[in-house]
Amino acid sequence: MSDKRPQGQPDEAMVDLLIKQVTEGLSPAEQRALDVMDSELASAYLRDLERAAAAVTLAGSTGGEPLPTALSARVAQQAAEHFASSEKVADLTEARTAAAEKAHVQQSAAPGQSPAPGRTNRFGGYGWLAAAACLVLAIFGWERSPPPLPPVAVVPPAAVIVPPAERPAPPTAAEERAALLANADSLKIPLGATKDPAAAGVTGDVVWDPVTQRGFLHFAGLAPNDPAMHQYQIWIFDAGRDKRYPVDGGVFDVPANASEVVIPIRASLMVRKPAAFAVTLEKPGGVVVSGREHVVALGATS
Amino acid sequence: MSPSVLQRIASGDSAAVRECIDQYGPLVWSIARRLSRTPADAEDATQEIFLDIWRSASRFDASQGSDKVFIAMIARRRLIDRLRKTSAEPPMDPVEALETVVWADPGTACETSIEAEQATRALAELRPEQRQVLELGLLHGLSQSEIATRLGMPLGTVKSFMRRGLIKVREFMNVDAEGVLSEG
Repeated sequence: MSDKRPQGQPDEAMVDLLIKQVTEGLSPAEQRALDVMDSELASAYLRDLERAAAAVTLAGSTGGEPLPTALSARVAQQAAEHFASSEKVADLTEARTAAAEKAHVQQSAAPGQSPAPGRTNRFGGYGWLAAAACLVLAIFGWERSPPPLPPVAVVPPAAVIVPPAERPAPPTAAEERAALLANADSLKIPLGATKDPAAAGVTGDVVWDPVTQRGFLHFAGLAPNDPAMHQYQIWIFDAGRDKRYPVDGGVFDVPANASEVVIPIRASLMVRKPAAFAVTLEKPGGVVVSGREHVVALGATS
Repeated sequence: MSPSVLQRIASGDSAAVRECIDQYGPLVWSIARRLSRTPADAEDATQEIFLDIWRSASRFDASQGSDKVFIAMIARRRLIDRLRKTSAEPPMDPVEALETVVWADPGTACETSIEAEQATRALAELRPEQRQVLELGLLHGLSQSEIATRLGMPLGTVKSFMRRGLIKVREFMNVDAEGVLSEG
């Protein structure tokens, strides 16, 4: 938000590209076309158009619903983590500066001395924010908020019976998924329903960690299946492999009356660059190569 | 003038973070729900938007606009980026099911923000079909091609309406009268 304004006027091509950027984003080719134009002029008019678009958004966003309580708590928790992390970086920078100054003036400083005024108190009050967020999260849990959904039916990994006294219960698929969602390196991909009857009203998403090769599908509204007749099967399309042979991600069932499910993905092969995830309905046990007669959900990474 | 909540965040006031979530959560949530394909997507987007807000608070300049418009800009950027990444997928909701927009009343829009009032006055000067193009594009996240299909309108007309509408709003926001304004 600088006051400096470049001279000149954008031409029609630039204005068209800037308006597209503000309203729906640019394709790589369009971005390249914009990149070769006058960048100073473009960024000044882009800012104006963004402000105009934001003002229209404000004018049309009256009477909005409050942020759901659980989501508000997650945002607060994330803020606490963000600023705590920023503070660590600032502390490290400060420590390095202090060390440099110390070397420069060759003076010794006693450990634990008072830091510079105004630094250590910066965001020092985030403890209460984190605590409050944790409390709300403990009350409301990590489940998605609106619309209210019946209890989550989690399809767990292979069960291992361990006496509770010996070690704590392993995390559920929903808990592991929540952890992956919080991982900045994870891919988060919405799954779109298809026209297959089993997909009517389905919403869902995938979270996938390319480093650990772990991931979860999350569905609401996927039709229950009879495991004796059919099973759902997960497929991962790897950009480095032949499209005709996606990687098998395992089979799963949706129990009757379960409107929401979380399913661990069990990739049978290393996925180098996931391009898309799909779910098909197959014979019990799944298939090696799907005929793709019943694709019920699909999501692409880009 | 007392510092805005964003300026307080930038200066390290931890209480301002909670205030920001309470004060602007409904706005961010409203924009995120409209410009996301699923409720889960809207929740993820909301978290990303607030993270962007924490990161950008120090760049807020009150002389250039209200904190509301700054936050709406951040939200829009993030959501368009997310929509762009998932553009190959079909929309989750049929276009006919789009939520009805209730525009701010010109007499009370200033309670929302000065920019909302300016936009409301500008929109009042547009033809209904021009206003509809802005509504579908800016509030519902439809691409210009999608708007053309939905309204049975040539793509060139949609582009023209979008351009004139945004320029009209920009004009009312008292920005430099040069450049883009002359396009209208």
